[in-house]
Amino acid sequence: MAVREIVVSRVVISKVATVTALGDGLDPLWQGLLDGESGIAPLTRFSCENYVSRYAACIDNLQASAELSLLDTILERVAVQMGALPEDCRLLVASTKGEIDRLTMACRQKGVIPPTALFELLLGKISRRCSLTDPGCNINAACASSTIAVARAAALIAAGEAESVLVYAADLVSEFVFSGFSALQALSNEPCRPFDQQRKGLTLGEAGVALLLMSEECADRHAEAPLACVAGWGVANDAHHVTAPARDGCGLILASNQALKKADISATQIAAINTHGTGTLYNDAMELTAFNAVFGESLPPLHGVKGSLGHCLGAAGGVEIAIGCRSLQQQMIPGTVGCLDAEDAGQGKLGVTSQKISGDYLLCSNSGFGGINAVVILQGSV
Amino acid sequence: MKGWINGIGWVTAAGCNSGRNTDQQPLCQGSLEIPKRKQVFEKPDMRFGRLDEFSRIGLAAIAFCLRDAGEESWSEKRPIGIIAASRYGCLQTDISYLQTMLPEHGKLASPNLFAYTLSNSFLGEAALRFGLTGTTLVLNQADESALSSLRYALEELAWNGQQAVIAGSCDLAPPAELSRKGEYPGGLFMLIGKEPSTDMASYGEIELRGDEIFFAGSKVNDFQALVGDVLAALIR
Repeated sequence: MAVREIVVSRVVISKVATVTALGDGLDPLWQGLLDGESGIAPLTRFSCENYVSRYAACIDNLQASAELSLLDTILERVAVQMGALPEDCRLLVASTKGEIDRLTMACRQKGVIPPTALFELLLGKISRRCSLTDPGCNINAACASSTIAVARAAALIAAGEAESVLVYAADLVSEFVFSGFSALQALSNEPCRPFDQQRKGLTLGEAGVALLLMSEECADRHAEAPLACVAGWGVANDAHHVTAPARDGCGLILASNQALKKADISATQIAAINTHGTGTLYNDAMELTAFNAVFGESLPPLHGVKGSLGHCLGAAGGVEIAIGCRSLQQQMIPGTVGCLDAEDAGQGKLGVTSQKISGDYLLCSNSGFGGINAVVILQGSV
Repeated sequence: MKGWINGIGWVTAAGCNSGRNTDQQPLCQGSLEIPKRKQVFEKPDMRFGRLDEFSRIGLAAIAFCLRDAGEESWSEKRPIGIIAASRYGCLQTDISYLQTMLPEHGKLASPNLFAYTLSNSFLGEAALRFGLTGTTLVLNQADESALSSLRYALEELAWNGQQAVIAGSCDLAPPAELSRKGEYPGGLFMLIGKEPSTDMASYGEIELRGDEIFFAGSKVNDFQALVGDVLAALIR
């Protein structure tokens, strides 16, 4: 059997649903971002007395009964927005810690480890709630998880292995993760300021997001109006360190070049970049180094949303790709909340105010622990 | 979609080893011994002793796999990915981390343990030691055949321009309340190249047809059967 190359189908994103600290749905999220709002606020979910920060971007009114996880509530709020999906839709999930709130509670109470500590039970819940026949799989690649899931979904559709794929991503603000980043001294003691010269670290956030990817033909059959096309993708490890990015940005450069090649476009055709932009010293510097290397004089406008939404871990990329779809439709990128005085390497390209853009392509990137980097290029005007 | 199995290595209840040293099935029941650095690397490795147990078995199994394929040493980074299936992931590390976090309301939370509370952390350890720049991720899914990582790897080879992919599975023994019959704790990985190795004898060709995996032209039903077939295929 000959090796099949990816040339079969164009891949479109036909539906998105988001639950973030800026509300339920892409409309309030988009408007909040344009207005420069931030969902970052003092945490009330658990005591921050022993941690280096007291801030996070939590979803409003997120509650669950004792036997459930907060992820159950997020799933319900996302599923309501998504509505009916093709039954034969494949399922790719991206969560780094799943129902970590339930595991923490079980350990706190010295009880038995709940079966929901396993991802396969979370997958079952998502599949059932969305009335899908595919049991799905979870992709665990740290903060690049959902970007990789979108890339994988696009690859499956482009190769003709699937007609539609639901990418669902969610992660919580939990004491587990909060205490860990605090212990690593990675949290900012004030709301994070991505790419600002005075940035001090990241602020955690939480989100649930679903993206329905389809072949163009499938979208036509289901009368879905495409929001954007997934034109290219790339994934690369920088092979440098487990928790720190390679300072030369080699992994992100590689992933970006793979994505440009897959999209069959030149760097000059990218109208804007939705960065990972965590607000940590090294991540943001690495990204600027990498993007300057890839784009040179044609570096387009950049922005990041973690000053508004916090770092939503495995869900970050999915939310940012949803925002990217709207950016291309509106030919606008929101400002980067907290970036009052951009790093030298981003001067003139980053700021707190929204920027108009002009062009058909937008690049989204995410990087994570384990040295992983992932890039998706979206195409508008489909 | 086709590839060539060019190496296989493991850390299981049968011990640490690789395919060119034995044809005995390594996926077996029993207790898993966590390897010490000297069992895996000849030279001192400052980080190995700091790794959590999940990462140690995963990294060690990948090391034995690459050694088996003659691909352990490198001078330039290589477009090789790692796809690891795991049912329990780093659950034991999560529990260990919680034991540092809970007693003093976070005051004693261990930053070193936290760094390994992502299932993919050991893939980063492997990537940096062996210069691997391909896609690295952990797959979690209900998969009785345990072949999901192989399918993913073969698709990666066909679609995403990698020279080779290391595919396999990695799990510690789970907490008793979650364990199932027929599970084999440990890590076992195969190096699947686009082409047969030029330096070592390849074990044979692996192919994905639809959802089914074939090795040397015969259909395989599950991961254990595939491992048995692969080990039996090498002319020693």
